[in-house]
Amino acid sequence: MSHYTRRHLLAQQAFGLGGLAAAWVRGQSAAAEPPKPALEPVVFDLQPKAPAAPPRATAMISMFMQGGPSHIDLFDPKPELNRLHMQTWTGSIKYDNAGEASSKLFGCPWRFRKHGQCGMDLSELAAPLGEVADEICLIRSMHTGVNNHGESINALNTGRQLGGRPALGSWLTYGLGSQNSRLPGFLVLTDPGGLPVLGVENWQNGWLPSVYQGTVVRPQEPRILNLDPPAVLKGAAQEQLLGYVRRLNSRLLEQHPGEHDLSARMQSYELAAGMQTAAREALDITQETQATQQRYGLDRDETRDYGTRCLIARRLIERGVRFVQLHTGNQTWDHHGGIVKGLPAVCRRTIPPAAALVRDLQERGLLATTVVHWGGEMGRLPVIQNEKNIGRDHNTYGFTQWMAGGGFRGGCIYGATDEIGHKAVENIVNHYDYHATLLHLFGLSPEQQTFRRANGTGSLLDGQPGTVVQGII
Amino acid sequence: MCALPETLPQTPPKGQGLWLRILSVFLLCTWLLPQEVSAEDPVFEAEARRVLKTWCWHCHGEDAEFQGGLDARFARQLLKGGDSGPAIVPHDPAASLLIQRITSGEMPPSEKKVPPQDLQVLQQWIAAGAQMRTTEPEQAAPGLLLSDEDRSHWAFQPIVRPPVPFAGQPGAEANPVDAFLLQRLQQHGLQFAAEADRETLLRRLWLDLTGLPPSTAAIDQFIADQSPEAWNTAMEQLLAHPAYGERWARHWLDVAGYADSDGYTEKDPERPWAWKYRDYVIRSLNADKPWNQFLVEQLAGDELLTPPFENLTPEQADALTATGFLRMAPDGTADGSVDQPTARNDVVAETLKTVSTALLGLSVGCAQCHDHRYDPISQVDYYRLRAIFEPAWNIGEWRAPGGRIVSMWSAQTRAAAAAVDQELAETAKKRTEELDGIVQETFERELQKLPTERQALARAARDAPKDKRTEEQQQLIREFPFLNVDRGSVYLYLPDRLTGFNKKWDDLTAEVRKKRPADDYVMCLTELPGRIPATHLYSRGDHQQPRQQVVPGGLSVLEQAEAVIPEDDPALPTSGRRLAWARSLTSGRHPLVARVLMNRFWMLHFGQGLVATAGEFGVKGELPSHPELLDWLAIEFMESGWSLKHMHRLILSSRAWRQSSVRRPEHDAVDPDNRLLGRMNLRRLEAETIRDCILAVSGQLNGKMGGPPAPVSPDDVGQYVIAIDTRDSAGRPTGKVEALNGEDLRRSIYVQVRRSMPLGVLEPFDLPRMTPNCERRAVSTTSSQALLMLNNPFVLQQAGKLAERLRSGSQEQREQIETAWRLVFGRRPTPEDVAGAVEFLAAGVTAAGGTADGAGDGKPAANAGAAVDPLQLWCHALLCSSGFLYAE
Repeated sequence: MSHYTRRHLLAQQAFGLGGLAAAWVRGQSAAAEPPKPALEPVVFDLQPKAPAAPPRATAMISMFMQGGPSHIDLFDPKPELNRLHMQTWTGSIKYDNAGEASSKLFGCPWRFRKHGQCGMDLSELAAPLGEVADEICLIRSMHTGVNNHGESINALNTGRQLGGRPALGSWLTYGLGSQNSRLPGFLVLTDPGGLPVLGVENWQNGWLPSVYQGTVVRPQEPRILNLDPPAVLKGAAQEQLLGYVRRLNSRLLEQHPGEHDLSARMQSYELAAGMQTAAREALDITQETQATQQRYGLDRDETRDYGTRCLIARRLIERGVRFVQLHTGNQTWDHHGGIVKGLPAVCRRTIPPAAALVRDLQERGLLATTVVHWGGEMGRLPVIQNEKNIGRDHNTYGFTQWMAGGGFRGGCIYGATDEIGHKAVENIVNHYDYHATLLHLFGLSPEQQTFRRANGTGSLLDGQPGTVVQGII
Repeated sequence: MCALPETLPQTPPKGQGLWLRILSVFLLCTWLLPQEVSAEDPVFEAEARRVLKTWCWHCHGEDAEFQGGLDARFARQLLKGGDSGPAIVPHDPAASLLIQRITSGEMPPSEKKVPPQDLQVLQQWIAAGAQMRTTEPEQAAPGLLLSDEDRSHWAFQPIVRPPVPFAGQPGAEANPVDAFLLQRLQQHGLQFAAEADRETLLRRLWLDLTGLPPSTAAIDQFIADQSPEAWNTAMEQLLAHPAYGERWARHWLDVAGYADSDGYTEKDPERPWAWKYRDYVIRSLNADKPWNQFLVEQLAGDELLTPPFENLTPEQADALTATGFLRMAPDGTADGSVDQPTARNDVVAETLKTVSTALLGLSVGCAQCHDHRYDPISQVDYYRLRAIFEPAWNIGEWRAPGGRIVSMWSAQTRAAAAAVDQELAETAKKRTEELDGIVQETFERELQKLPTERQALARAARDAPKDKRTEEQQQLIREFPFLNVDRGSVYLYLPDRLTGFNKKWDDLTAEVRKKRPADDYVMCLTELPGRIPATHLYSRGDHQQPRQQVVPGGLSVLEQAEAVIPEDDPALPTSGRRLAWARSLTSGRHPLVARVLMNRFWMLHFGQGLVATAGEFGVKGELPSHPELLDWLAIEFMESGWSLKHMHRLILSSRAWRQSSVRRPEHDAVDPDNRLLGRMNLRRLEAETIRDCILAVSGQLNGKMGGPPAPVSPDDVGQYVIAIDTRDSAGRPTGKVEALNGEDLRRSIYVQVRRSMPLGVLEPFDLPRMTPNCERRAVSTTSSQALLMLNNPFVLQQAGKLAERLRSGSQEQREQIETAWRLVFGRRPTPEDVAGAVEFLAAGVTAAGGTADGAGDGKPAANAGAAVDPLQLWCHALLCSSGFLYAE
């Protein structure tokens, strides 16, 4: 029985307005009757909630590669493109930048080789992933169809091209709550190089209650605002402060014996202190062995930053956090120019730690229930942009992302683009198909996972025709 | 009493609507008991009717046709039955079709089933002979029927002034409020608690009336004033304080669902003129504008004026501004991507929700789709009510938010603006011409990249409209995509030149724009004279299924109290519907309005309403704990000229309000929830009050009143702070910080309420989401509140400011402690308090990795990152403590 009902009962008893039994009967029937006016304000929380169907996945790490990694240079070999290298393509191309647009094809400068028992083709830039190829599900037919960064990020991260909608992590924590009451359910690890395109909108709760907003783990102190004390308060200072607050509060409680609000207030500070400790502990990678740290590349300058964040992501998932998203910096993968040098550099920084994360999760038995996502909001065009400093323009009509764990099929290559890698032509996976599949693996139904809003019912798919992609799970 | 007629007219006379038909049934029949009913046996009216209304009537009574020919609204109709025969067999529940259909799960056909308790009610009623207390009509047209039970609900009864208990007896309470409360306390063998001490009382009074803590000067003055008038003096000072209006306006803005943005869509566009309504509310409360006038203005201020609304006096401008009350609902109709009919309909529905919960204490919204499940409000009632608003909220001739603002400019200002607009248009034209020149130049340059012999073809391809190009031309464009240069893409070709171009023209335009007089609008609700739409009932609330036309009117159950609403008042340029309704609400005879308002005022003073469900006075709401007191207050309020300040004086000078808030076991044992008010309630401050008090205590509060709100924007991790949005067009932080000039230090009521961006320092303390309004705030105790107080930069910063304030006041540690105690808690510290503080300040504090800078020498640490200023840390602790966060 809810607190409200109990209070209601006591009040009625005290005033003799109705017998206890009658009130109980009324209270009981109220639970089953048609919707009635909400008499008490509704409270949204992060209590763990059981999904509608048995879930395959219970947590997710999303490595978002903002800018748009070149799929044809990493994951999607195109012999025909290489054959037509530097020739004019007379078919239609969807450009973003007219000023530097050309119709001259540019082959992949890097060699592809088969990896794993599944024989997954990966270019030498993505070769570190070969070690986990049999765990990976490579989707070569991703499609959002909107050539701007912002809109395509929205499509993949919030379900539709519009801004202001709840992020994926908000939906999952809204639907499932969090397993760890001492840590936020949805954490975001930002890059020291700055925020991605759309900035903080990437983890906003939109019109879901703000308890489902992503909490940022900053690359510098304090790592989690409000949760991690600022430098001046760390350690002894805050302990002293908390001790004094406790003293003041218990004195007031002595003057107000039996005032439960005041004791709850005291407990809230104890819990907050506990949460601070939990956050500090979760972020403390010195607890990891040297071998683990090396595996993530913490011993090398190139991989130290991204490796650290991958390692933190694993520690958070281990502690029951529902959704962790790692962002690369602003337009890290947006190689309009200088792709020949730029792409290998960013791959060296990010791909080995990503591979290490998959392997580590697997060895710890976490991969089976943890979805790992790696991908950007777009791929790139097979034609040259800017011949003086060769690059590739945006391509949201066909690109690659990979998934692992949580029910995704390992060693799977799904879908295909056309002969030059421009448009997805086989088993197209739209952003809404991807989302329908994700929700399915979490035991959530796209139709039932909804939120009442002023203008009707909102959901992740919002009525788009998403279907669960059986071929990848 | 009239005799039951033998037969009822089968068809109503021509021209009478369904509703009149239903009413005629009432008038023709009697509802009084003709048969002997044993006192113990359940009768139809007691419980069975409620169960059937909840579960069966929708299809068997209220819909246009009785499903299966069965009318389940009357016992005699159940006995007669429908197509399948009698629905009930008296004394034999098992043989009754009604019970069989329910137990088999066949009925009701929806997913939700009749719960066992309700089934039992029906079984017991049938087993006892299916008796009824009243004589029922033989038959009645479909629709909601009002019974005596419906009409007799306490909140629908006329308000009469009850006698004050103990009146005239020796030693009787001077204040009627106390007399009513004491009578009930005594009935339970209880008494009021002792009066709280003076310092506690003064802080309570300040927080209640102004939402701010008492200044040290105010404390000194009050403590020094030993006259019997001391309390009244303090009270009158605060009632005259401008902060009073700010504090109590916040309460009314909750009820109105105030926001500075439209909501509804993800874009959540700003409402640049909403603040005028906010300021109107503050002004009205400070002036103690009579609430009957205040309500009439908010519901129909425009109908008090004559359009066009030009050269208005301040009073007239206020009347127009007041209708902002009806413009507070989320409104997405400015957005081209929303479904317009749905969005428009939602604005009207949400406005009705706000109005009905605010003034009637009823959720009439439930009757939008079907007759209200619990309250005697029919679907027809709902649309009659809606018809009052439709001449202004005209779905067919809709005006989006941008078209619902009225300029306050004079004719002269208007002309000046028109001249500038002309100049701006000319500037824009010249800019485009120059840009077109650059585009053409660029094209010519790009053309040179092509072989000479193909240039003519390229030129022809470019000149041809896209869909008229030949295959050869299309092929050429595909091969040389850079030929697609236009106004939008030319910056990609000539980034530097375009930067210069844009700057030149932006500056020029800005220069011209400066000459334009500042905009001055009010957002309001108005009618277009002569444009009165017909209101239809929507079947199942679906605007695509309009049914019969309805005329404007109030709720049927209140027919005695609510005036006849004209369809089009010939004496007014507008329809006069809202004005007529507003006047009937404030006539002094309406049973709900004064009760609902007075209950809310009571709740705001005591933390709990006499009716605990402040927005729900219907059947599902709680009964009043002190019905006579509520009625007495409601009458007193109306007879005092609807003066809220009069009611404040009455309540705040009562013994009840001045009691100690300390619980007593003997009282708790009888009345744990303090419904009898044998003590004051200890109350946590609201979100805005906490922020305002922090600023007041630190000495940083900017007292500027009124005007556009302080802007809210996400910071670099997405927390909403008071800041000017400097993100770039892709939403990335630019690191640029624009000076706020103290806007960030204003009272919270002046901080922008952007629905999609609740301010980070307010939100954890139960800041309401306006959906569409807030009747009563939640009070939770969560660790996110503790984390906010412990670690939020705002709290830290203000703790530092408080420490500075203390230092600038005195170098003496004891004096610093005493001042802080008085600022934060409104009282002098006890020797024990001082000893604790001295001990804290003497302990050297070192931040992690830092070094102590000597124990409590009173100077701030030179290196803030390393050593902690003990005085700041101590101030911070005071702000975190319950003594600050609660009003005792």
